[in-house]
Amino acid sequence: MQTQDKQEALWKFGSYIFLLVVTAIVLIPLYWMLVAATIPQSEFFSWPPRLLPGTHFLENFRALQENVDFVRSIGNSIIIAVSYTILSLILCSMAGFAFAKYEFRFKEPLFYFILATLVLPIQLLIIPLFLLMVQIGWTNSYLAVILPWAANPLGIFLMRQNMKAIPDSLLESARMDGATEFQLYYKIALPTMLPSLAALAIILFLNQWQAFLYPLVILQDPQMFTIPLALADLVGQQRVAFDQIMVGTSLAVTPIFIVFLTLQQYFIKGILSGSVKQ
Amino acid sequence: MVLTAIQSTVRSSTTYQHLSDRVRYARQDISRAMPAIPGLPYLYVSPFFILFAIFLLFPAAYTFYLSFFNYVGASNEILLSIQMGPLLITIPEIANLEFVGLSHYERLIFRDSLFHRSLFNTSFIFFVQVPTMVILGLATALVLDAKFIRAKGLFRTLIALPVATGLVAYSTIFLLLFNGEVGLVNYLLETIGVGSIPWLGDAFWARITLVVAVTWRWLGYNMIILLAGLQTVPEQLYEAAEIDGASRWQKFRYVTVPQLRPVLLFVIVSSTIGTFQIFAEPYVITGGGPSNATITIVQYIYNQAFIQLNLGYASAVSVILVVLVSAMSIIQIRYGSES
Repeated sequence: MQTQDKQEALWKFGSYIFLLVVTAIVLIPLYWMLVAATIPQSEFFSWPPRLLPGTHFLENFRALQENVDFVRSIGNSIIIAVSYTILSLILCSMAGFAFAKYEFRFKEPLFYFILATLVLPIQLLIIPLFLLMVQIGWTNSYLAVILPWAANPLGIFLMRQNMKAIPDSLLESARMDGATEFQLYYKIALPTMLPSLAALAIILFLNQWQAFLYPLVILQDPQMFTIPLALADLVGQQRVAFDQIMVGTSLAVTPIFIVFLTLQQYFIKGILSGSVKQ
Repeated sequence: MVLTAIQSTVRSSTTYQHLSDRVRYARQDISRAMPAIPGLPYLYVSPFFILFAIFLLFPAAYTFYLSFFNYVGASNEILLSIQMGPLLITIPEIANLEFVGLSHYERLIFRDSLFHRSLFNTSFIFFVQVPTMVILGLATALVLDAKFIRAKGLFRTLIALPVATGLVAYSTIFLLLFNGEVGLVNYLLETIGVGSIPWLGDAFWARITLVVAVTWRWLGYNMIILLAGLQTVPEQLYEAAEIDGASRWQKFRYVTVPQLRPVLLFVIVSSTIGTFQIFAEPYVITGGGPSNATITIVQYIYNQAFIQLNLGYASAVSVILVVLVSAMSIIQIRYGSES
């Protein structure tokens, strides 16, 4: 009996050690990024390694802003990610509402057709989309980045699944009270769906904020760069200025971390919504 | 779908339902009598479908079409001047193209050693990275699912934090960490006497660096999905196994794994699709080097299309990529759903 207790204690101890090691491995690179952003590159070598952030953040940031217009790229990222999220939420929730709450011809085939396109890797679309944007003269424009992925198959799927949970009786009583059909969507469905809209919004925003390959192809003017493009541009330069790069990386990542830590339940809900359980 | 939490928030509006129960029959009559707006559902779905058709369906079909042509230059014809004869839609010409038939595919499959190289690199990352991440993710999820662990929410949040870093952002962090001269990893290795490793200068180690980076980024994501799956395993199954005297390993092997099968399958399939689409990591961390040792398929597509402007050839690579990924997913789903 006593050996079993010992084994049990050992097991618990081992589990905690494992968990702490994994957590440490996950956090050390992020912490080092913050440290590296606040010290001059010459101090990267110091031994023992710098454990606390320095005071060089502003100097590093000034050098970064001189090198690439980082403030501008943050602005670009915000404009693109916010408008993309709003547009996609409207499109997906409207279509999802129709698929969940109305009967119409070709409903099932249309829906399963959309689902089937989930397997298409976006790389497949990049070449024709590039040609298309060149032809209509939209390269280096916000619209070229915002529009193509706004009709998001995953978004419509999640919206349909969630909107199915709105009781029909709720919609009917609103109808009885004289609500128009559009008000059913706007005044009943959207407010009831706020938690799942939030989860989808976070996933959409994050995807667009982090998007790299497609913006890299479409946005070639540095003035139009989003944050990932500006960061990659820094890496591509002759002399790799890690101090500047780390300032840029921290500035790109920290706001997202704050959102993540405060809204992590929605984040996780969004991640899980994309997964298949049965 | 893991949506019970979302649905429960909706159910809180049951006050309406109570009212509705009382007048259900009357209301059903009313709603049946109401003049339905015939086209309304189509009005709701059409904005979605218009964008969907222009920016997803058309490009997907056009990639396939383009893969049989050589791109000669941009066309002067106006885009989307689709001749709508009686049920006749011609494919719009957005480029001047020269028909080459299957020759792109022939060259790709039999003669293009750089493509073979990118296929090998991507497969290497796939075969090392996916098992590593799934095992590590499962282990972490199992530990976090154990009853005795405190502060589960905190650990879960911290381990999932890399999900919030962008592809390029985390790639630049790893570029710094694994840098040969100023990298912290080599500095630590030298100090403990292992000596520095040419992470980005050697073919093998450069691939390993990519594996480490990708695992770091996606571990938390997979852990969350696996954790959600673990929480749906009925407690009674474990209790029954315990009564039968099952060991810890036996409980894992005969209860957890079979119950978790669909979730594991999802994690494996989505990781597979993910590794075959890797682009930002080699683009930023290794630049595809040293001497193309880490060039991935998507990077090869990018180089062919947007640096060398072989758009037709790059389209053929894209088509091959889709075929590969779909085939792998189908095999995994077939094999994984066998009981």
